[in-house]
Amino acid sequence: MVGRLLIVAGAVVAAVIGIVAFVGLFMLQRPGTLAARSADVHLETVAAVNQALEWPRPNDPHPDWVAYLPTTILKVPANATINMTIDQEDGASGLRNPFWGEVQGTDGAKLHVTYFDDKGNPQEGDMTSIDPTQAAHTFAVPDLGVFVPLLGVNANAPAGSTNVITFSFKTHGPGVYHWQCFVPCAAKTVFNNGGPMSTLGYMGGELIVS
Amino acid sequence: MKTIRIHEADRPHALRLLTIWLVLSIVGVIVALQIHIPPGDQSIQGADQSRTMTLMTALATPIFIGVVLMIVYSAFAFRNRGPELVDGPPMLGNTPIQIAWITGSTILVLFLALVGITSLASSNVAQAVGAPGRSIGQSGGQTGSGTAGGSGSELQIQVIGQQWYFTYRYQDYGGVETTHLYLPNDRPVELHVTSLDVVHSFWAYQLGVKADANLGVDNVIHVTPQKLGSFQVRCAELCGLWHGAMADSSGKVVSQSDFDSWIQQQQQSFTDIQKAVPSYAPFYFPDPLTKGS
Amino acid sequence: MVTANLMSERRMLIPNNPITGLLLAIPGYFFGVWLGNVFGLFDDQNTGVILGYTVATAAFLVGMGFLNYPLTRLLGWPVTPISESEPDAGLSRYFRLSLDHKVIGLQYLFTILIMLLLGGIGAMMIRSSLLVPDSSITPPGQYIALIGLHSVMMIFITSAVIVGPFGNYLVPLMIGARRMAFPRLEALSFWLVPPAAVILAVAAFWGGFPTGWTGYPPLSEQAGQGMDSYIVGFGLIALALVVSGVNMLATIITLRAPGMTWTRLPIFVWGIFTTSILGMLAAPVLTAAIVMLAMDRSVQTSFFLSSNGGSNYLWENLFWFFGHPEVYIFILPAFGIVMEIVPHFARKPLWGYRTGVVGLFGVALLSWFVWQHHLFVSGIAPVLRPFYTLSTELISIPTGIIFLVVLGTMWRARIWFSVPMLFCMGFLVNFLIGGISGVYLSDVPTDVTLHGSYFSMAHFHYTIMGGEIFGLMAAVYYWLPKMTGRMMSETIGKLHFWWMFVAFNSTFFPLFIIGLLNMPRRVAQYNPALQGLNIWVSVSAFFLFGSMVLFAGNLVYALAFSGRRALANPWHARSLEWQVPTPVPAHNFDRVPVITGGPYDYGMPNARPVADFGGIRGVTSGA
Repeated sequence: MVGRLLIVAGAVVAAVIGIVAFVGLFMLQRPGTLAARSADVHLETVAAVNQALEWPRPNDPHPDWVAYLPTTILKVPANATINMTIDQEDGASGLRNPFWGEVQGTDGAKLHVTYFDDKGNPQEGDMTSIDPTQAAHTFAVPDLGVFVPLLGVNANAPAGSTNVITFSFKTHGPGVYHWQCFVPCAAKTVFNNGGPMSTLGYMGGELIVS
Repeated sequence: MKTIRIHEADRPHALRLLTIWLVLSIVGVIVALQIHIPPGDQSIQGADQSRTMTLMTALATPIFIGVVLMIVYSAFAFRNRGPELVDGPPMLGNTPIQIAWITGSTILVLFLALVGITSLASSNVAQAVGAPGRSIGQSGGQTGSGTAGGSGSELQIQVIGQQWYFTYRYQDYGGVETTHLYLPNDRPVELHVTSLDVVHSFWAYQLGVKADANLGVDNVIHVTPQKLGSFQVRCAELCGLWHGAMADSSGKVVSQSDFDSWIQQQQQSFTDIQKAVPSYAPFYFPDPLTKGS
Repeated sequence: MVTANLMSERRMLIPNNPITGLLLAIPGYFFGVWLGNVFGLFDDQNTGVILGYTVATAAFLVGMGFLNYPLTRLLGWPVTPISESEPDAGLSRYFRLSLDHKVIGLQYLFTILIMLLLGGIGAMMIRSSLLVPDSSITPPGQYIALIGLHSVMMIFITSAVIVGPFGNYLVPLMIGARRMAFPRLEALSFWLVPPAAVILAVAAFWGGFPTGWTGYPPLSEQAGQGMDSYIVGFGLIALALVVSGVNMLATIITLRAPGMTWTRLPIFVWGIFTTSILGMLAAPVLTAAIVMLAMDRSVQTSFFLSSNGGSNYLWENLFWFFGHPEVYIFILPAFGIVMEIVPHFARKPLWGYRTGVVGLFGVALLSWFVWQHHLFVSGIAPVLRPFYTLSTELISIPTGIIFLVVLGTMWRARIWFSVPMLFCMGFLVNFLIGGISGVYLSDVPTDVTLHGSYFSMAHFHYTIMGGEIFGLMAAVYYWLPKMTGRMMSETIGKLHFWWMFVAFNSTFFPLFIIGLLNMPRRVAQYNPALQGLNIWVSVSAFFLFGSMVLFAGNLVYALAFSGRRALANPWHARSLEWQVPTPVPAHNFDRVPVITGGPYDYGMPNARPVADFGGIRGVTSGA
C-alpha cells in the first residue's frame, strides 16, 4: 500500500514539476520591458549580430534575426506625446503594400530623418512619405493610427552608417497596443513574413500604455 | 396505411408528456421570439440573418424541449424503484412510430433547408455571401455585372488583408487606399476581398458580412447598410502572431454627403503615396512571391 | 516438419520493448536531420526536421520489434503462429510490444488518458490566458502555439479514444473471437500513437506552430519548424487510423463466432464497423495532403501557394474532405456506446435495433457529402452552397434516429441509475445542444456571422467533449470491471458525473453567446466588453478540470488501492463479453462459442442464453 502510494505521489509530483517547467519556461516567456520614463523612446533596428551598435544581443536565441533593439515591449505614459528616436541600420527591402510609405498619425504627419543620398552624402530633413521601395522597416501602431516607414540606409552610404529617424505621436488611454513592421523583412520565410516578423521581440511588440 | 395504435400502458405517459411539452413549448417559443439575436439591423443582410436565427431558434425550441423532456421524464417515471433488478417490457420496436419520427424529422429538416436556401437565393442575402473566387491567371477588373444581384450602381470597394491589418481601396475614387472603411448609407456596396499574404477573413460584424481573403483571389460580397453608426471589422481566420489584434472598431456608415467629404479628404492626404500604389487590380502578387533572399 | 515449426521457440532479433525503441529512435532522429541538411534544398532545416522525425519513428518501431516477424520469415526461420504462442504475463507486458488485443486495449486506454491530461492542461492554460482581454498573461505567439498544441493533441486523442481502448479490447470478446484478424497491425496502430504524441509535444521547443489544427497554408508554410511536428504527427495518426480500420473491418467480417449473425451483433460493434469504414477511407486523403504540405515546406514545391501556381483551396478541400468524416470517426463509436449501454440499464431490448444500425450507416454515408460547409465564406462557387446546406441538415435525420432508438429503449423501462447510465443521459442532452447548434452553422446566411466565431467552437466542443468524452466516461465506468477486474466507486462516480455535467455546460454554453457577440476563435486579444463572460467561462473550465481530477483519483484509487475485486458480471448484463470470467482468459474462449441469443433480450419470454460456451470441436474461429 505504502509503495503504491509513493508511486502515485511520485507520478503526481513529476507531472506537477513538468507542467510548472513548461508553463514557466515556454508559455509565459516574453521579452524584457523598456520603461520610457521621460516619454522618449530610443530604438535601434538591426539585421545581424555584428551590426548592433548600441545594444549587443549575446543571449538572443536567434542572433541572426532582424530585430528592434533593445526590446519591443515598450512602456509609455498615457495621454502623452511620445518622442521616438530610431537608429535605422538596415538597407531597404521594400514594402509589400506600398501604401505604408505614407507617414500617418505622427505629429504633423511627418518624420524627421538624417540619411544619405544616392551619392553617399549626408542629408537631413522632414518627410511626409517615402519611396516604398526604399523602406527598411515600419514602426506601426495600428490601433493608434500610427504608421511610420523607416528609410533604409542607402547602398552608397559609408559602411556602418545609420539613418536616425525621429518623430512623435500621442497616446490615448491606458491599454496594451500592439505594434509591428509592415516591411517583409524576415528573409528565407514565405512572403518574408515568418520568423522575426511572426515572433514577439523581433519585428513586433507591445506598447504598454499606463 | 397503418395507424399508430397507442398501447394501453403508454397512454397516461404519452398524455402527460404531450401536455407538458405543449405548455413548455408555447412558453419556450414565446421567450425565444423575444431574444434579440445579433448581428442586428445595421445592414439589410444583417437584419435578415437576425430574422433567420430567430426563426431557427423558435423552431429548435420545441425540439430541444421535447427531447430533454423525454429524457428527464424517463429518468423519473421509468426509474427502477425497487431494491431488485427487474426487466422491463420486451418492446423490440414500433414501425409506425419509427416511420412517423423519420418522416417528421425529414419534413422539419427539409423545411429548414428550404428556409435557408430561399433566403440565400433571395436577392438581399445572396449579396451577403461571396461570389466565386477568381482563379489564378485571370486578369481584368471584376465588376458587379457578372455576379448575383450586382448592378453598375454598386459602390466598388476592395478590402486588402495583410499581416496584420485591413486596408481599403475605393475603385470609383481613383483607387484611393485608406486605413478605415467608410460606407455611405442606403447604397449597395460590392466588396472585393483579397489578401497580400496568408488567408485572412474580413468580418464586419454589425453589417453581417464575412469573407475569406486569399492571395490571388477576388472574393466578392455585397452589403447594403441601412443605419448610420460605427461597426467593427475583425479578422476571423487565424493568420499568425497578431491575428487577435487584427481588428478595427472605426468602420462607419455615414450619410452620402459626409462620405463625399471624407473620401475627398482621403484623396488629398494620400496624394503623394497614391502615385506609388499599383493601379487597381482584382488581386495583387507583390514581391517576394514565396521565399525571398 | 510442420509440427516441429509449431513447437519451436520464437526467435527474437530485437527485444520487444520501448527501451531499444528509444535507443534506436534518438540516433535515428539525428541521422534524419543530417540527411536532410545534406540534401535539403533550402537552409531552413525543414527537410532535416521532417526526415528526423520520420526516421526516428521508423527506428523506434524497429526497436520495438516490428521487423522481427517479417525478418524471421524472410530468413526462413521457424515462426510460432499467434494462436499457439504463449500469452504475455505480468505487469511488464503492458510496456512491451504485445499482440494480445486485451493488452493493447489497456495500453491504449492509459496512453490516451495521459494525453487527455496534457490536452486538458493546455485548455486550462488557454482559459487562464483569456482571463484578461489583452495578451498580458500569455504572449500572443505562445497563445496561438498553445491553441495548436491543445487542438491537435485533442484530435489525436479523440480519433482513437473509443476505438483504441474499447474497440480493441471488446470487439473480439463481443463477437466471440479468440483474437483480432491482424494482431501485428493492431499493435502497430497503437505504437504509432506515442511517437505521434511525443513529436507533437516537441513542437513546443521550436515555439509551436501558429495554425491551429486546420493547418491552412500559406500560414503553415510560413511557420517555423514547429509546423513539422504537426505534419509528421498528423501523418502518423492518419496511418494509425487506416491500419486500425482495416483490422477492425477484417475482424468483424471474418471472425464472428458461429451464430453471431449480423442482426445479433452488439450495436457497439456496428459503431466500430462504421467508424472503421470512415477511418480507412478518409485518412488517406489527409495523408496525401500532409505529404504535399511536407513537400511544399521542404523541397519547395507549391501545391498550396497561389503565388506560384498552386492553390490554398486545394488544402482546404482535402483537409475538410478528411476533416468532416473525421468528426464522425469521433462520434460514431460514442453513439455505439450509448446504444450499447442503455439497454443493459433500462433492462429492455434495444428498441429498433435495425433502425439504429441504419442510422449509424446513414451518418457514415452522409458524412462524405458535407465537407464544403466549412468553406461557405471562403469564396467557393455559390451554386454549391444550397447543396451543402441541404446535405448537412440531412445528417439530422439519421442522428435523430439514434436519439429515437435510445429514447424508445428508455420508454417504460426499469432504469437502473448507475454511473454509466448517467453519462449516457448526459451525452444525450449535450449532443442535442451540439446538434441543434450545428443546424445554425449549416445554414449559409447565419453561418456568415457564426463561421469562425466562438459559436462554432462551442458547437464542436458540445459534440466532441459533451458527446464523445461523456461516452468515453460511460464506457470507462461500464467496462473497467471487465478490463481490469476493478470496480470504480459508484458514489464518487455520481459526484463526478454531476460535477462534470454542470461544469461542462457552464463552461461551453456561454461560449455560444460570446460567439454571437463578435468573438472569433483563436484570438489572444478580444473585445474588453466580453471580459465578464470570459472570466465566467474560465472559472467554469477550472471546475471542469477539477471534475477530471476527481475522475483520475477515482480511477487510481480503484486500480491501486481499493483492492475490491469486481464480479465477473457486476451489471448483470446479457451480452457476450460479460459471460467470460474476469480476468479474461488468455485466448478469451477455450473454444469458440456458439451464439444462441441476442445481446439485449431482457424480459423476453423464452429468451435463450446468449451463447453455448461448449463450442464446436475443431472450430477455432468463426464466421
